[in-house]
Amino acid sequence: MNRAAELRGAVAFVTPATLITLSILAAPLLYIFYTSFGGPDFSFRAYSDLLGSALFRRTLSTTLIIALSASALSLVLGYVIALHLARQTPRRRSLYMVLVLLPFWTSVLVKCYAFTVILGRSGMVNEFLTWVSGSQVQLALILNRIGVLIGMTNYLTPFVVFPVLASLMAIDDSVYRAASVMGAKPVRIFRTVTLPLSLPGIIAGLSSVLVMALGFFIVPALLGGPRDAMLSNLVDFYTRETLDWSMAAAVGVLLLGMVVLAIAPLSVLRRKQS
Amino acid sequence: MTEANRLTRRNFMASGASLLAAPAILGAGRALASTNKLTFVTWGGTYRDSVYEGGIRSFTEKTGIEVTIIDTPDLAKVKAQVMTGNVEWDVFDAPGAMGASGSKEGYWEAFDEGLFDLDDLAIAPTADLAPFYTWAGGIAYDPSKKGEGEYPRNFAEYFDLEKFPGRRTFRDRPSETLEAALLADGVAPADLYPLDVDRAFAALDRIKPSVASWVAATPQTITLLQTGEVDFSYSYSSRVRTTGEAGAGMAFSFDQTLNGLEYLAVVKGAPNRENAMKFVAHMLSPEVQAATMELLANAPVSKGAVPLLSEESRKWLPDMENANNALMNDAWWADNFETVSRRFKEWMLL
Repeated sequence: MNRAAELRGAVAFVTPATLITLSILAAPLLYIFYTSFGGPDFSFRAYSDLLGSALFRRTLSTTLIIALSASALSLVLGYVIALHLARQTPRRRSLYMVLVLLPFWTSVLVKCYAFTVILGRSGMVNEFLTWVSGSQVQLALILNRIGVLIGMTNYLTPFVVFPVLASLMAIDDSVYRAASVMGAKPVRIFRTVTLPLSLPGIIAGLSSVLVMALGFFIVPALLGGPRDAMLSNLVDFYTRETLDWSMAAAVGVLLLGMVVLAIAPLSVLRRKQS
Repeated sequence: MTEANRLTRRNFMASGASLLAAPAILGAGRALASTNKLTFVTWGGTYRDSVYEGGIRSFTEKTGIEVTIIDTPDLAKVKAQVMTGNVEWDVFDAPGAMGASGSKEGYWEAFDEGLFDLDDLAIAPTADLAPFYTWAGGIAYDPSKKGEGEYPRNFAEYFDLEKFPGRRTFRDRPSETLEAALLADGVAPADLYPLDVDRAFAALDRIKPSVASWVAATPQTITLLQTGEVDFSYSYSSRVRTTGEAGAGMAFSFDQTLNGLEYLAVVKGAPNRENAMKFVAHMLSPEVQAATMELLANAPVSKGAVPLLSEESRKWLPDMENANNALMNDAWWADNFETVSRRFKEWMLL
């Protein structure tokens, strides 16, 4: 195939998706930028108000802390699952992969209510602990930071499992054999072979969960307390409660900026890896 | 113009919570001038059933106008509809401050002259807001938990942690909460407005540690009490009354209540404006008020409705003559909601 034909082919395949993306993503996004600068009467008011407000600064730090800890937790849990999956026979592995995907079959809203039943003051966990210990146990597991982290980690873990698993499966078995023939113990093999070679998967998994974690809305609203409000809850506050849409848009733009900032170093790292 | 419309609609969709309404908004603007339709936005659950049984069914029977009922009045969606000129909703069931904000922003149609029987209404309608009923907020408790006299009966006692120790609730918004704090701090109900915001926050600081939940969803003011998560709760007489019908009766103190108005408003540019006017007038007529409030357990604004209520219902009406009770000033909140709200959210976080 010559170059011109190739180009024609590319245009035919890519144009529909590009047009859809531009119209339903780029255009509204530009409009959000426009709104955040006050629309027709251009000003930086929304941004200067936001940066000067304790509410915003507090919510920003909460968002960062929650997003980073939920990402770290799901990375650890997801990595362990992926390690286990990589060692299974293909038939078993596909069964387990379905199990990993199972949480996606229920909506996040339903899962939040389920967690309320399980983790509440007189929920299943506390009832069980009360029964085991013989005394009244009422651990506060929801309406606080713990509840938010449980809910988010539950949602995010599968997004780590799959890219990490792909990386692990791509490691040539002979590398492991060579390492153990040379006398490396399992811990050493993990540190010098498995971990570095699965790094692309870790980076891919981590960047997708971090992006998602920064924009969580329902989980902090339902499982968190008043101190666990995240930036997306602030967007909701400005959109629906105070009807100040340029503030809402400015929060959205800053959130987008944070996502870009969080992702940039990870993608540079990924490029270096490959 | 079309370009701007499209973009604004998208901006509206940016709010995650609003996503569901998108198809409704995108399909707007198809309505004809004269129709037999009406869209009424009201609260969901049993509230919706009560309003349907009490007034909407008879409206359709009388006029042949089909009423589409939509859940959850949301002023952000009204703003989007009015801004884009794609108005989908006709009549809006607005709590006090929301109604007053909408009026300030110019989201409501002015009512036609002579639409209401002014002699019958205890509270006069404004140019664009028709009072639908008054509600009473106050202290609720579970009478099976403690003895007589061990429950706070007014706001001063609700704020008295020494005499009445226990976990409490408040709403997650400054309206009602600041009023309760000032009443507790000794401000006379008549001198409440303009609110002394600093003094209210100082009073709230005292009880903040024993507020177990800042409640966002109204039914939670009761469920937290029923499940024993809290000892006393700031709730509403209408909500408490319905727990009695379900068996496990909670109690509500009428010694001191905060009373507020619920309004009906017609959205500016409503596609079925004529029907909307007829509907609002219908909902304020004495028979409909009596039938609806019998079910909703709130106080009718129609004087003629009061004698039509059952004996049991009249017991649950807040006493407007009681000097301890305060009436919410929605106009004050329309002007101050944003700044006070922001301060309140910050205060909750710190």
